[in-house]
Amino acid sequence: MSNDDSSSTTISSFPPSNPTTTQQRQCSQYDSVLQSLTQILGSPLPDSITLSDNPPFSLLHNHHITTQITNLLLSPSSGAGDDSLCRWLYDTFQSTCPDLQLLVLYFLPTLAGLYLSRSISRQPLAGFEAVLLALYAHETTSRGNQPLTFTLPNLTYPSIYHESKSPVKNRPTEDPEVVVFSQALEPHGTVRSTKRARIVGVALELYFSKIALMPLSSKLEFCRFCIAWSGFKEKDIEKEEEEKEEMGRRVPLPWELLQPILRILGHCLMGGGEHERWKEMKVMANDAVNCIYERALHDMNPQAILASRSLLSLGKMEDEIVWETSSCLPTSTTTSYNETVAQVQDVEKNQPVNQD
Amino acid sequence: MRLKGDDDGTVVLANGLSVKASDDEVKLDEGDIQEAESSLREGLSLNYEEARALLGRLEYQRGNVEAALRVFDGIDLQAAIQRLQPALSEKPSSKRNRSRTESLHSVSQHAASLVLEAIYLKSMSLLKLGKAAEAAQECKSVLDAVEKMFQHGIPGMMVDAKLQETVSKAVELLPELCKQAGHNQEALSCYRRALLSHWNLDDECCVRIQKKFVVLLLYGGVEATPPSLAAQTDGAYVPKNNLEEAILLLMMLLKKWWLGKTRWDPSVMEHFTFALSLAGQTSVLARQFEEILPGMYPRCDRWFSLALCYHAEGQNEAALNLLRKFLNKNECPNDLPAILFAAKICSEDSLLASEGVEYAQRAIANAHGVNKHLRAVGLRYLGLCLGKLGKIAFSDQERSCCQVEALKALDEAIAQEGQNSDLLFDLSFEYAVQYNSNAALRFAKEFIDATGGSISKGWILLALVLSAQRRYLEAEVVIDAAIEQTAKWEQGPLLRIKAKLKAAQSLPMEAVEAYRLLLALVQAQRKSFGFLRSTSDRINEFEVWQGLANLYSSLSHWRDVEICLEKAKMLKPFSAATFHVQGSKHEAHGETLEASASYFNALSLDLSHVHCKVSLASLLWKRGSKALPVARTFLTDALKVEPTNRMAWYYLGMVHRDERRLLEAADCYQAAAMLEESDPVESYSSISS
Repeated sequence: MSNDDSSSTTISSFPPSNPTTTQQRQCSQYDSVLQSLTQILGSPLPDSITLSDNPPFSLLHNHHITTQITNLLLSPSSGAGDDSLCRWLYDTFQSTCPDLQLLVLYFLPTLAGLYLSRSISRQPLAGFEAVLLALYAHETTSRGNQPLTFTLPNLTYPSIYHESKSPVKNRPTEDPEVVVFSQALEPHGTVRSTKRARIVGVALELYFSKIALMPLSSKLEFCRFCIAWSGFKEKDIEKEEEEKEEMGRRVPLPWELLQPILRILGHCLMGGGEHERWKEMKVMANDAVNCIYERALHDMNPQAILASRSLLSLGKMEDEIVWETSSCLPTSTTTSYNETVAQVQDVEKNQPVNQD
Repeated sequence: MRLKGDDDGTVVLANGLSVKASDDEVKLDEGDIQEAESSLREGLSLNYEEARALLGRLEYQRGNVEAALRVFDGIDLQAAIQRLQPALSEKPSSKRNRSRTESLHSVSQHAASLVLEAIYLKSMSLLKLGKAAEAAQECKSVLDAVEKMFQHGIPGMMVDAKLQETVSKAVELLPELCKQAGHNQEALSCYRRALLSHWNLDDECCVRIQKKFVVLLLYGGVEATPPSLAAQTDGAYVPKNNLEEAILLLMMLLKKWWLGKTRWDPSVMEHFTFALSLAGQTSVLARQFEEILPGMYPRCDRWFSLALCYHAEGQNEAALNLLRKFLNKNECPNDLPAILFAAKICSEDSLLASEGVEYAQRAIANAHGVNKHLRAVGLRYLGLCLGKLGKIAFSDQERSCCQVEALKALDEAIAQEGQNSDLLFDLSFEYAVQYNSNAALRFAKEFIDATGGSISKGWILLALVLSAQRRYLEAEVVIDAAIEQTAKWEQGPLLRIKAKLKAAQSLPMEAVEAYRLLLALVQAQRKSFGFLRSTSDRINEFEVWQGLANLYSSLSHWRDVEICLEKAKMLKPFSAATFHVQGSKHEAHGETLEASASYFNALSLDLSHVHCKVSLASLLWKRGSKALPVARTFLTDALKVEPTNRMAWYYLGMVHRDERRLLEAADCYQAAAMLEESDPVESYSSISS
């Protein structure tokens, strides 16, 4: 009875929880990548990474090491042309191994956040720029000089989901409306200041395309920088953070940056499950969207106001509806399920899981 | 089958027979499943699977999930399906046999529903134990079994209600389980399977699935592979990516709502707004808002959203009309974002500026409490509106008053929101148009610093202010720096200013070279700009020819002027600038009548064209004493618009001299001689924001 052949094979082909073990042998670069990382960190990596079947995956989910790298990125002198960490990120991304590229993307929120904030004070940032240009070049190649487009659905045509009432011959003959979502990319060898937002924006588009695989901590970092970019962080937080670490500043937010920012924030706010850590993320994402909304009001940017305002009200609705699907999930299960999840998490705490 | 709660215990009803469950429960409590099962089988003449299903459900309903799971584990679904299949797929052969077949059907369906429900509950039990992936497997097997049993889809009327309920629940649950298990890609295809196969779902259930599917498509971060070919019916539109699929489903949901087929859910419109504004399709969004019938959606929200859509599309008049309605004293007169938007729209048009001043003042008055930070925005638009108002002021006093107030408002705004770089630009611009070029210069530099040079209008403003100070070389350095920071395609406006700077320095060859580069860029753009490329970077070819015509005219190369004017006219037949150059040409050839005709034509197209006024005045002055008062009027007019126009001061001096007002004449000559500033090589208003 199903018209969809592919669906019958879907469940049986669920990927294993550690999806990339088989690719391990294909990526021979792991050793050199880990070795140079050890040199940069100045301390050996734990066995859980070096002896892992899939070192990039283990590294990605090792909160201790990723924090260490993030802190190095956050140091005031980072991002220059001779920054060995930027070199490592660049080389690692150029390896063309998807797992390693994902690892580099993990640090994009920090890197882009610092880059946009610091580029205003004219610090030497060739290191950051090299990494960003590598991400941009990757997207330029994979898009092949074509813009990202989509066709605007038209309900007068029948679709796979609905039938059209108008008979076939009366159907309008006009061409479907093609909409450009993201302009075609020109190759760039350097970051020209007027292209800065576009290059970072495209890197964020790449980040969004991999966001389902990204640990939550990276997304949290992204939300933090959004708040800083908007320029609307609370005064007392500002003081605290200035003492603690550099967390970015208000930057120009043209649409080429806002569009990917809003997509990522949409995911952070609406794309999660009932997971405890997702809730933390939702709170953070909600704050970030709120700041972007305030900023859009100050910039009087109608598109950004429409998008961020909708996200804010969706976030509010989400809070009100716990399980609208009570008919398929009895309400009593919600609590016990959460309890169970919590217990399961306690047990599995030390094992890498899919969602951080 | 159903369970009946009685005072004295639960009664299990199945296939028309009933058994008191309390006895079995006692046995279950003792943990003896086998014994309970056999007693059930005997009492109700059930087979092995059915009995287990019943028992399992009992356990499940009592909350003993693990025990239920143990019972369900024993069910061999495949065997049960095998037994059920022939009975169900058999079609009623003749009218005579009908009643017999129907009863057979209902018996089989009872049995099927019992077993399928058991598997569904097993899936639920697994979910409760946090084993979402396994739960998904079980849930999927329910659907697979149903597909096997009803190979032509579930017939609408013939299905047992209980069976249908189980099927619907399983269809709805499966994608949720996949999501819980972290398998979003599978969840996507499960949603499609739910919507594309014939499960005989009711409308509400279908809507729920569509909404959850949309959420996953828009926010899940997983790009769905397009639906398989098998799902495509002839000629039907197949969405190619997440966004298309989500927008299609949302459009369908909205239509259902308009037709009254479904309950209103505000989240649908919010998802739709998010998706379309992200895609830059505010005009489509506006169309959907327009289609909402009165009484279905809060009208103020609708007006404001519509106004935002129209404003994003550049339809400011429509947007402002909606905002006026919205801000009516009977609606929401104090809604700050709406007031601010009204002020913004008014600030872009000098004829609306005075209305804008009112809105801005209202915004400032309303910006308190949590909205205090919006005061700076109000002040900004107050400044911009006053600046526009000053431009069209009738009297000098009125003008200077507006200008002073405009600067005051912008200063206050910057004091409140110092980190807002846009305010630096606005201040610089306002100072520039008020001929305070030193202050303009300072703020333009600050703007470039604050934006890290990332916004090219900052570079352009700085260069124009420098050119107004006749510091052409420095202006050129700025433009060169900007060109270096700009990609090839977007260099058009910079090259144009560079050419004008060269011309202003009397370097015609270099100016021509800059124009040549511009024309090459125009050619390249014409070749490569398909409909998919943004048109905002496209160079205005008319301006290039017009600029060249001006250049050749200043060199008195009239043949070249002719060629350039022809090209320009082909692109824009009626333009004051073109007529002005044409007038100069006639004048140079001694054709005074034709020349003045051209100047008058130009003035009828643009009343404030300063160069025409000056040229016309000079022609009149040459005619002799009768025309002198008219010439004087043209010149004072010109100086009102452009007080730094040297030629206007010079000719005014000549007119005064001929009219024997020597003192005034001397003053005018002095003004012309002492003017340090000129107008920028290109009007400030050419800077697109």
